[in-house]
Amino acid sequence: MAGVYVQNRAASVARLLDAVEAGISARSAGRTAVLIADCGSQDETADVVRAWCADASGSARQSVDVEPPLHPGRAVHALLAACHELGARGIAVLDADMIGVGNGWVAALIAPVVEDKADFVSPAYARATSEGTLTTNLLAPLTRALYGRRIQQVTGGCSALAATFVAHCLDTGAGAAMPHAHGVEIALSTAALATGVRVAETHLGRRIVDPNLPQLDLSTTLVRTVGPVFDLMERYRDAWEQARVSVDLPRLGEPSAVTPDAERPSIERMVHAFGLGMKDLLPVWEQIMPEATLARLYPLTLLEPEEFEFRPSLWARVTLDFAVAHHERRLPRDHLLRALTPLYLGRVAAFLRTARAASRDGLLRSFDEIGRAFEAEKDDLGARWR
Amino acid sequence: MQDWTAIVINSFREVAYRLAGVGPRLLAAITLLLAGWALAAILHRVTVRLLQALDLDGRSARLGMVATLGRAGIRRAPSELIGRLVFWVIFAIGLLMAIEALEVPAAVGLAPVVIRFLPNLLIAVLVMIIGWLLANFLAEALLIFIVNSQLTGGRMMAGALRWLVLLFAASVALTQLGIAREMVLLVFGILFGGTVLGLALAFGLGGRRLAEQALESWLRQRDQGAGGSSGLPHV
Repeated sequence: MAGVYVQNRAASVARLLDAVEAGISARSAGRTAVLIADCGSQDETADVVRAWCADASGSARQSVDVEPPLHPGRAVHALLAACHELGARGIAVLDADMIGVGNGWVAALIAPVVEDKADFVSPAYARATSEGTLTTNLLAPLTRALYGRRIQQVTGGCSALAATFVAHCLDTGAGAAMPHAHGVEIALSTAALATGVRVAETHLGRRIVDPNLPQLDLSTTLVRTVGPVFDLMERYRDAWEQARVSVDLPRLGEPSAVTPDAERPSIERMVHAFGLGMKDLLPVWEQIMPEATLARLYPLTLLEPEEFEFRPSLWARVTLDFAVAHHERRLPRDHLLRALTPLYLGRVAAFLRTARAASRDGLLRSFDEIGRAFEAEKDDLGARWR
Repeated sequence: MQDWTAIVINSFREVAYRLAGVGPRLLAAITLLLAGWALAAILHRVTVRLLQALDLDGRSARLGMVATLGRAGIRRAPSELIGRLVFWVIFAIGLLMAIEALEVPAAVGLAPVVIRFLPNLLIAVLVMIIGWLLANFLAEALLIFIVNSQLTGGRMMAGALRWLVLLFAASVALTQLGIAREMVLLVFGILFGGTVLGLALAFGLGGRRLAEQALESWLRQRDQGAGGSSGLPHV
């Protein structure tokens, strides 16, 4: 079974649904179904979905009712509830904002679930060096350090869940209250990692970002991605306190490659943003980070862009300081997460500077180094978490 | 000699007579003061216990109120703060009643006036507290927004906004207290209007570059999309 949640995607949803249906039919010999949940579209998406469902097909096509207030969290839970009710063995859940979904994607996602090899399947993508820096420099290493499993993508736009894990998510309401797609995906993957169910990763190739999507500014992106990870640290405190070392996840498919950048983003502007933050945001940061961390940040303002360094250990310390301040509500949480923006840009500048000179293996090693830095800095987190 | 004795006796009599007149009033004042203090202490404890039972401290911590108060140097728990407010209000009423019982000519009728004034005073204090919280919140939000938009002058703009909101709150509080109402409104109007006009002129004449910078940054972010200030697909 596959479920798609959609909002305002009238132009592309039919093509995506066709690809999803082809994928799920190719994989499952028995009865298949494609469920669609609308998160409150204002355009003609509902009409397109209705017409698509009315078309004759080998698999069942069904639009699922979502309880208001309509948002991705509610939509995903409506899909999971329908999956549970229909007694399916599992469900592949996709965000309709994804484009370029190949027939093989859904099959690759659902296969480990159908074959009873995994309870949760997360995607892994091929990407350029400068793509997904928030994932590679913060979301993935922080999640790895917290829950002890080396996941590459905590919010990948799609995933697959086995029936037992679906039941668990419905019981605990994992992600149901998350109003944004990133939050739901993070909630599902974190629930899987923290509760110890069998998690696998499947390589899907290159992920294409739709240029027509409504665009978010960077600080809002941080609020919607880092915010849920920090929020979930409250819920799964026992799990992250117990996790001591990290292990690799079973990986399926052809390993995803990291390709050189087609266009090189400006490191100078990122370093400038970091410097401006150090100059003007210091009173805010002083409420978030202890003096010891700030003292390690001050010398960075003296560095020129071509020699700029922001070591993974310092970045991990900064991130965990923010996590503790978020927990203690030292600032309004929205302000706190937005105040991370210049620091994140500083870290990305340093990462890109070294990544451009690194080989493919060197780049993979640097991802691992970031993960290990987070694991090392996490040692005293339990004591700081009052 | 007899005259001297009579004068002394008369003086003692006079003083004794006056003390006999003041004594009960003094005793009544002391009693009211002690009763006020005792009642204030009891209500303080009851209020604190009740608020603790309702988990006010935990709820306030979860809402970030404890941290906000901490930033202002207030380290006490919210339940204790409210308990102290109750204590001082009750004790002040007791003190006023004690002064009233003394029948000091200068203080006659003071208690009813102060008691009538008390609600307005409490509202004014509340307005100032909310104004102060709002000023800090908005100033911080503006500062973060300006820095994330990679514009300079964030601290100055945030400081200006903080003072504007505080000025507004102070004028509302003074109006509530009825202190020179017309003058406060006039002063606020002149200061607020003057500040806005000054900022408009400064931005229009002296800050054209800043305006340009702001527009450029906004357009760049819009064009660069999800990458925000760097043009990267971050997630």
